[in-house]
Amino acid sequence: MAAVSFEGVSKRYGEVVALDALDLEVREGEFVSLLGPSGSGKSTTLNLLAGLMDADAGVIRIGGRDVTALPPERRDIAMVFQNYALYPHLTVFENMAFPLEARKPKPAASAIRAKVEQVAGVLGIGMLLARYPKEISGGQQQRVALGRAMVRDPTVFLLDEPLSNLDARLRIRMRRDLKALHHAIGSTIVYVTHDQAEAMTLSSRIAVFDHGRLQQYATPAEIYDRPANVFVANFVGDRETNFLDGSLSAEGEELAFASALGRVPLGRPRGALDARGPLRLGVRPEAVGVLPDPDAPLRVTLAELSGADLFLTIRAADGLEVVARADPRATRVAEGDGVRLAFDPSRLHLFDAGTGVAIAHGT
Amino acid sequence: MHGLILRRRIGRGLVNLLIAGFALFPILWGLSSSLKPTERIVEFPPRLLPDEPTLEHYARIFQDDAAFYILNSGLVSAATVVLTLILGALGGYALARYDFRGRSLTMMATVAVMSIPIASLLVPTFTLISVLGLYDTRLGLVLLYTAYQLPAAIWMLYGYFMSLPVELENAARVDGCSPTRTLRKVVLPLSKPGLVAAALFILVFAWNDFVVAVTMTSSQEVRTFPVAIYFYLGFYGREWGPLLAASLVSIVPIIAVFVFLQRYFMSGLTGGGVKG
Ligand SMILES: Nc1ncnc2c1ncn2[C@@H]1O[C@H](COP(=O)(O)OP(=O)(O)OP(=O)(O)O)[C@@H](O)[C@H]1O
Ligand SMILES: [Mg+2]
Repeated sequence: MAAVSFEGVSKRYGEVVALDALDLEVREGEFVSLLGPSGSGKSTTLNLLAGLMDADAGVIRIGGRDVTALPPERRDIAMVFQNYALYPHLTVFENMAFPLEARKPKPAASAIRAKVEQVAGVLGIGMLLARYPKEISGGQQQRVALGRAMVRDPTVFLLDEPLSNLDARLRIRMRRDLKALHHAIGSTIVYVTHDQAEAMTLSSRIAVFDHGRLQQYATPAEIYDRPANVFVANFVGDRETNFLDGSLSAEGEELAFASALGRVPLGRPRGALDARGPLRLGVRPEAVGVLPDPDAPLRVTLAELSGADLFLTIRAADGLEVVARADPRATRVAEGDGVRLAFDPSRLHLFDAGTGVAIAHGT
Repeated sequence: MHGLILRRRIGRGLVNLLIAGFALFPILWGLSSSLKPTERIVEFPPRLLPDEPTLEHYARIFQDDAAFYILNSGLVSAATVVLTLILGALGGYALARYDFRGRSLTMMATVAVMSIPIASLLVPTFTLISVLGLYDTRLGLVLLYTAYQLPAAIWMLYGYFMSLPVELENAARVDGCSPTRTLRKVVLPLSKPGLVAAALFILVFAWNDFVVAVTMTSSQEVRTFPVAIYFYLGFYGREWGPLLAASLVSIVPIIAVFVFLQRYFMSGLTGGGVKG
């Protein structure tokens, strides 16, 4: 039984279609990220699931139960808000006890205290229980918000960009903590983020959104290696994917891609390759090999060292740019040098240039 | 540098003093006069301070049952404040957070009603109150005061609720609260400054009202303090001493309530709840 399912769920605000006929299933115990740029419909999806807004069409189920018409207080979900939404007039203890106090029948005070203290212990915030939210740091507030969700042992956890207000270091630490927490409590988690690295590291599956439409729903590896369309290929990854327009050119057994950069051998890509129309080739920076060649027409215009990686921007004569990711210790190339490029055929992606839909992948 | 700051401080202090003196002069003059024996109150040229202060006028008003009228006023005012706040909070919250049919019409009507002068409502409401059998009752006064003040209360609280972050209410709903529990446990506690401001506004009106009370009541048992004070202007000619003494006594409870509730004016109660 699916922990959460959306069946043809739509939501519009006046003219704006915030969510278009969403179909999505989250299995019991899964950690699913809703990933997408700003305004893509992630929060809308989460708010619909929480019952904070009503769907215009479709059915939403939690644990098999149709909750489409239920108010939030009857859905048995816990939510961590982007801004934490701690109750400022209540102490940390009272904040965490709040969902238990609202239960009917109300649990005994001793039971509430025991539960809050146990969860506070797990999160390492036991010493903060008597303070008010404004008296603790951002990271601590974030833990309290998590704690308030955890005391309920809910069917599903909803998290809306819970790490976005934290500084970079703390964000990475909390990311690890969240993952450990998920392993420990094994609950179903639906997690909203626009940070693809966060989604990649945390999730069992990622749902990529754009303009209110689900673009792809798959494991992080699948999303990364076999993006369903140009948007996903571009959005997922530390750096933007390089795209080249061109067409197929067969040469005996070997297939190749004819583009402004010349012929790119494709090896033997999987998928039906009888497409004849205009195509778009996607190459991630790490699939681009760079070889020094003083006679080549391509020039390195920018070399950016970011610790472990060296990002090289290479410009062809006609203004076309390709970004390559190289190992700084193995690459002897400087700005202004001439280079040749070699694409790793197993990591190429071919898309229909018109629709953007993927046709074949190197793996 | 230091001298400049000092001079600016002194300047500011002088201006404040001037404003305070301007506002307080009638009250201080009344206080001074209320402590003079009757024949000295209207003497010419007037003296700033009484040369032989006396409490005779104060003794007189309490012999005239001032305490009873104050109690009456207090009961009516307190009931009005409570009733108006409850209804105003519900109405203001509905307008602030629910998108129902006729919402903007309701808002416009609320504002429009506020601009009707009470005097023009006296005759129709008098008839209404009589038909309902509430003429010459405290309940009648409470209902009328509530009706008069409700639009302003709704409007003030609507504004306050709009300024609260809606995430807190969403969190409460997800945490298992019904809409009314959310209002009770989250919205109202966070709205203390707004509620206090509205309460004082209503209180001042109900406590000071003379026109409505004198129209809608006649017997001594339900008489409110402002009406009682008016009697010193009436039958036995102008009795300045008791009149001034009673007026000053009527200010005291209001000032006391203001001082007591002052700390709630300073808001900032929502600080730290929602980041970013
Ligand atoms: N209350 C609203 N009224 C009108 N339009 C809205 C409202 N809330 C969201 N939208 C619109 O619906 C679309 C989806 O919004 P949503 O909040 O779901 O995006 P999001 O993916 O969560 O973005 P972000 O990363 O910025 O939070 C956007 O175009 C947005 O402008
Ligand atoms: Mg959002």
